[in-house]
Amino acid sequence: MKQKLLCFLLLCTVIVNVAYAQKTITGKVTEQGNGLPLPNASVLIKGTNQGASTNTDGTYSLGVKDLPATFVFSMLGYESQEITVTSQTTTLNVRLKENANDLNEVIVSGLASTVKRKNAANAVSSVSAKELTGVTKPQTADGALYGKVAGANIRSSGGAPGGGLSIQLRGFSSLQGASQPLIILDGVYINNASQATGRATVSGAGASSQDDGSNRLADINPDEIENMEILKGPSAAAIYGTRANAGVIIITTKKGKSGKVKISLSEDFGLTTPLKLLGVDDWSEAKINYFYAGTTAAQTTRRNLELQRFRDAQSTGNFVNYEELFYDNKRFSSNTRLNISGGSDNTQYFIGAGINDERGLIKNTGFDRYSIRANIDQKISKALQLSVNTSYTRSNTDRGFTGNQNRSGASIGYAISATPNYFDLRQRADGSYPDNPYFTENPIALVDKSTNNSLVNRMISSFNLSLNLFQTDNSFAKIIVNGGLDYLQNTTNIYLAEDLQYQRGLANPGDILNGKQESFNTNIQAAAVYNWNLGKVNLNSQVGLVRLDFANDLLFVRGQGLAPLQRNIKQSALQTVNGQTFSKIQEAGVFLQQEANFDDKIIGTIGVRFDKSSLNGDVNEWYAFPKASLAINLTRFGFWKDNFISQFKPRIAYGETAGPVTFGSIYTPLVGTNIGGFLGSAVSATYGNELLRPETAKELEFGVDLGFFKNRLTFEGSYYIKNTANNIQTLNLSPSTGVTSVPSNLAELQNKGIELTLSGLVIDKPNFKWNSRLMYWKNTVIVSKLDIPSYTIGGFGVSYGTFLIKEGTKLGTIVGTPQITPGVYTEWGNSQPDFNASFSNNFTFFKNFDFSFLFDWKKGGYNSNLSNLNTDEGGTTKGWFEDENGDGIPNGRQRNPAPYNNAGRFVEEASYIKLREVGLYYTMPTALTNSLFKNKVQRFRMGVSGNNLIMISKYSGYDPESSTFGAGLANNVDVQPYPSARRFFLNLSLDF
Amino acid sequence: MKKFNIKGLFPLAALAILAASCNPLSIEKFDDPNNPSVSSVTNNATKQQIQYLVTGLESKHRDYVSNVTNGWGSLGREIWLLNSSDTRNITEWLGLNNFQLNANVFGYGATGGGSYASPYGAVKQANVILDAAANTNNLTDLEKKSVTGFSKTIIGYQLMIPANWLYGNGIRIDVKDEKNPGPFVSYTAALDHIKTQLDEGFAELNAAGSTLPFKLSAGFAGYDNPAQLAKVNRAIAARLAVYRKDWPGALTALGQSFMNLTGSLNDGPKHTYSAGADAVNPLFAALDLSNPGNLRVVSPSTIRDATPGDQRVIDKFFKLTTPFTVIGLTGEYQDRRYTSNTLPITFIRNEELILIKAEAEAQLDQTLNAVQSINIIRNAAKIGPYTGATDKNSLLREILYQRRYSLWAEPGGHRWVDVRRYTGPGLLFASMSEQIDASFDKGIVYTQFPLPQAEVNWELYKNK
Repeated sequence: MKQKLLCFLLLCTVIVNVAYAQKTITGKVTEQGNGLPLPNASVLIKGTNQGASTNTDGTYSLGVKDLPATFVFSMLGYESQEITVTSQTTTLNVRLKENANDLNEVIVSGLASTVKRKNAANAVSSVSAKELTGVTKPQTADGALYGKVAGANIRSSGGAPGGGLSIQLRGFSSLQGASQPLIILDGVYINNASQATGRATVSGAGASSQDDGSNRLADINPDEIENMEILKGPSAAAIYGTRANAGVIIITTKKGKSGKVKISLSEDFGLTTPLKLLGVDDWSEAKINYFYAGTTAAQTTRRNLELQRFRDAQSTGNFVNYEELFYDNKRFSSNTRLNISGGSDNTQYFIGAGINDERGLIKNTGFDRYSIRANIDQKISKALQLSVNTSYTRSNTDRGFTGNQNRSGASIGYAISATPNYFDLRQRADGSYPDNPYFTENPIALVDKSTNNSLVNRMISSFNLSLNLFQTDNSFAKIIVNGGLDYLQNTTNIYLAEDLQYQRGLANPGDILNGKQESFNTNIQAAAVYNWNLGKVNLNSQVGLVRLDFANDLLFVRGQGLAPLQRNIKQSALQTVNGQTFSKIQEAGVFLQQEANFDDKIIGTIGVRFDKSSLNGDVNEWYAFPKASLAINLTRFGFWKDNFISQFKPRIAYGETAGPVTFGSIYTPLVGTNIGGFLGSAVSATYGNELLRPETAKELEFGVDLGFFKNRLTFEGSYYIKNTANNIQTLNLSPSTGVTSVPSNLAELQNKGIELTLSGLVIDKPNFKWNSRLMYWKNTVIVSKLDIPSYTIGGFGVSYGTFLIKEGTKLGTIVGTPQITPGVYTEWGNSQPDFNASFSNNFTFFKNFDFSFLFDWKKGGYNSNLSNLNTDEGGTTKGWFEDENGDGIPNGRQRNPAPYNNAGRFVEEASYIKLREVGLYYTMPTALTNSLFKNKVQRFRMGVSGNNLIMISKYSGYDPESSTFGAGLANNVDVQPYPSARRFFLNLSLDF
Repeated sequence: MKKFNIKGLFPLAALAILAASCNPLSIEKFDDPNNPSVSSVTNNATKQQIQYLVTGLESKHRDYVSNVTNGWGSLGREIWLLNSSDTRNITEWLGLNNFQLNANVFGYGATGGGSYASPYGAVKQANVILDAAANTNNLTDLEKKSVTGFSKTIIGYQLMIPANWLYGNGIRIDVKDEKNPGPFVSYTAALDHIKTQLDEGFAELNAAGSTLPFKLSAGFAGYDNPAQLAKVNRAIAARLAVYRKDWPGALTALGQSFMNLTGSLNDGPKHTYSAGADAVNPLFAALDLSNPGNLRVVSPSTIRDATPGDQRVIDKFFKLTTPFTVIGLTGEYQDRRYTSNTLPITFIRNEELILIKAEAEAQLDQTLNAVQSINIIRNAAKIGPYTGATDKNSLLREILYQRRYSLWAEPGGHRWVDVRRYTGPGLLFASMSEQIDASFDKGIVYTQFPLPQAEVNWELYKNK
């Protein structure tokens, strides 16, 4: 968006220049050090809107009316230069110096405006393509944000290929909504739902929150992204209104640049290995005698059988380490990308295609993504500019069977926890799979005879039409209309073959659940912008409207009792509609915003947005979301004499936003129920609330941005207080009334936090450069008001640790047995981290070598870890038969704390330090490239990199991040997750 | 100074036309696209809508089955539910490791689940029907009597479930207004209220003519007219009378019920199940799987105490080829009653009625009659006539023993309730653990459940 605006401005000035210029200055802009030309650098005459941009060879030409004038040369990533042009000047060549901490970068400040970072009043994070994908290869765009955004707590639900992440910006905004940010890609409100797949239905785990489906940001190829901007809270995101409570992530994809066609081909070869294995326990006769103790005939028979099996295994040496068999695998991946970009002065294009093929640690799992994108910018006339971005993605994901299950046996973790290593479950020579006497399923057969597939076809298309109404030296006005659509079709297939052990015992063996989900989002926005100068004050006014339409349609059908090897539901004995839901949402908003900039010294903004939504109890009520902000650049004032401090900007911002009401919450339904061939209408246990309002949040953010040594070292510090109100809560009624709950706006939350970023170019020598960045962030959230009694929610109940919602208590508090007074339980921990920190570094040496790494640290935060409950019950936990306290009861039967019957044993600290990214690259010098590739290749770069190479954690499970539930309050419950992976890459890229 | 571009005006004009033709700021209020609303039946409901609601009631009438059968069956050590996927069915329900009951016991949860929220859900459904029937002109007065009589009969049956679950804690009986439920009343007062409901329902069914204005599922085959439903009502009233220790009342109710001393002991109205969109029988278990994962097994004490040759043991218990063990508890026998998932479950049976008759007769010192009634059961079980002592307490012990095997793991949770009925000062047993043997699992025998979390919370909310 910002580039479009910039181009637009520049185009406009060209028109003006032709008409009014008296003298023309020409020159060339190059990079300091290597002397390479810099295309698309901006040349502006200070105090006016007149300017030009450089051509592909770095040259420019700019007419100037009044002399002397100050020319400002700037380009993203380079230090700006101001040069006074006198009447003697005709040629002006400039060398720009690369700048790691670029404060001229523009960030979004409104729905139709941007602001330079040095003037911004909010701590908006911006993550460039270089940071996203420059070091190593994330599978998904959200996975590339770890440790790069102060204030963002990112969590992966497990190691299954194809994502499955949650991003929580500045704590919690909602108790029941997922607290996930709004994502806008090139102006389109895109669907980032973690969609249902039906796995939890078939496995018996429960609701679709345990499906472990990918969140649909997985469909966006991270390599197509130019930039991600993160508006972390209401103070920055107020103008986005109703959907911005949990922040907004604005994704801008790559664009073409006028000039020579650039073809770039990249290939990453990857190797995936497990990040951590837990080990399994060996057995002995003493252990078997203990494990199968008992005096009845049945118990004695069983004990003798187990002893016999153990002795048989001993005599043949045939022990199977099931953890290694399933998880300790080496898998390959490849990521191929082809980008073609270029254009003329009127037309620029970017065409990107990518094939991502990644195999998961577990057999028969993987993630394939095929994506193609065409971004076209066309200057239709001197005043009219059109951009159209279109992408198509096909994501094919196989995530296997892990996590929770009930009875079906459809979870590898459960099955191998229960199976001792002296029993061989592997396929026999005749092709058969032995039944598992220790669990309901043979996990080896499960992996070979099951499917958990999601196939997504998705098209995202957007347009941006910008019309320049008029342009003078002192003012301009324009109209910007943009919008787009996101069409997502997800075909899911869960399948368990009819000859699996568990299925054979069912009335109808063989289970298939097919889902079709379709979501269609459209949005359109129109804004009028008027910009004028009043003395030294630049004023920018915007007014506009926004319209959103979302439609979802979901159908799940199930077939049980399958004909042998058949996978069509028509080939099943029992054919049922497992679920069908429709939803339709309409929203509308209007916005007004006024920005004022006094000579880059004092920058202020006020604005307001009004929204209404069909989700609300009253569809016609407008909700208002005001905002105001102020930033003061003290170093710009004349009194500032200090050369040591190059920027000193105190800033303050306030804003309000909302979170939408969940679809359907206003309805009190009669649910369809079938009995004996009749359809009945059953009163729902959940009533609707026709007075429901959106959840609201108000945030005050203040901070200071400092720059030292010409901004070679910068510091950004922010403090925020985010108070939410009208949080939608389930008011639990007395169940004796037959209605157990009704949604209500009865809670308030308070998040307070601090975000600090220190970055700098530590060493800047011709042969050695070191850029470093340190981030620290911390959030504390309490339930500040609760007009309903305290209650517990989430997880698997009080015996295993659940979450307490209580006025005055920190949100995320984990409580569990023993009960203290009726309904009041012991506090065992809190899911929220004490703080997060990250440390990233980039070294350039001998000009052609690049080395980067990023450490990510989460301190504190507890999980409810139920995985070793299974292994303890199966006797397979490493060290099960040891006896720490010497009381004769082995550890596996007696986990601390005493008296060994409470939830304390499951609640475990989940701190970690991870080496998220590391990369070493070599860029071949131009001369060598030319001679080696006979001038056919412009640039050749190769490197090795890795993702999650090191984890330092005392956590006893596979990964302290893992959770059986997706996004939301309870996303730290560990139940037999898909183990996380360590990923290595060999990266090659060629530019033609 | 201004420089307009003519071409640029075209899209502007197009936009203006677009804006004029459809107002982008106008949004619609949608009806629920997925379900009808409750409010659609509160005013002048059609006969068809009443039919849907009655079917809804029949469906909700069976929601408690799994929880009460497995949960109370475990409390009374009729069964163990050996679930290797979630061992709280063992640890919490049997009170292992000195587990103390709390407001969120597994399987019951914050709302009390199948022992509390589900039966009250059926009561809510019945109350909505009572409202709908009162506010419609589409039914004749005679037709309304069938609707209300059936609804109150089900209310009576369902309310006994929470009453027996919370027992000494009492229950709420005034539950029509979901925003303002009445207070908890004692167990005795609750049973009195249930009697009123059943008696009203009985009177209404008696005055409802000869045909029902609605259809019931095949589960009510043979009971699908007002007169026969009235007999079901009296069977439920007989069960209630036992809880109320109203022994003459029990005999009166039995006389008006479908009890048949020479008929099949299995006769009675049923919960229907079928495949497809319908629910399947929640007590179904395939026989003798190599690893069933989650299996209702017969508790070892039930096997130990069985009379040799008892036909009920042969019919109901299946000996596993490989005993099933979960966390150290081993079951050697599984429930064999429901070997298909579409079999119906009879919710009150002739056999129970005859046992109620025996108990009432024993209590009223009609010794000879009581022995005759007992012998109907004993002969059916092929264990020969009763030869023991005929004093009242001996007969009552014998009746409780027969009830243990006749009504084993039925969805009334009988064994747990029966032992409690006869435990206390001046009664047969000093403590429940005298009769309910927890030695095989080393657990605890609970007497009653505490209020579920949602009720604890509602009391706090109401008083805030």
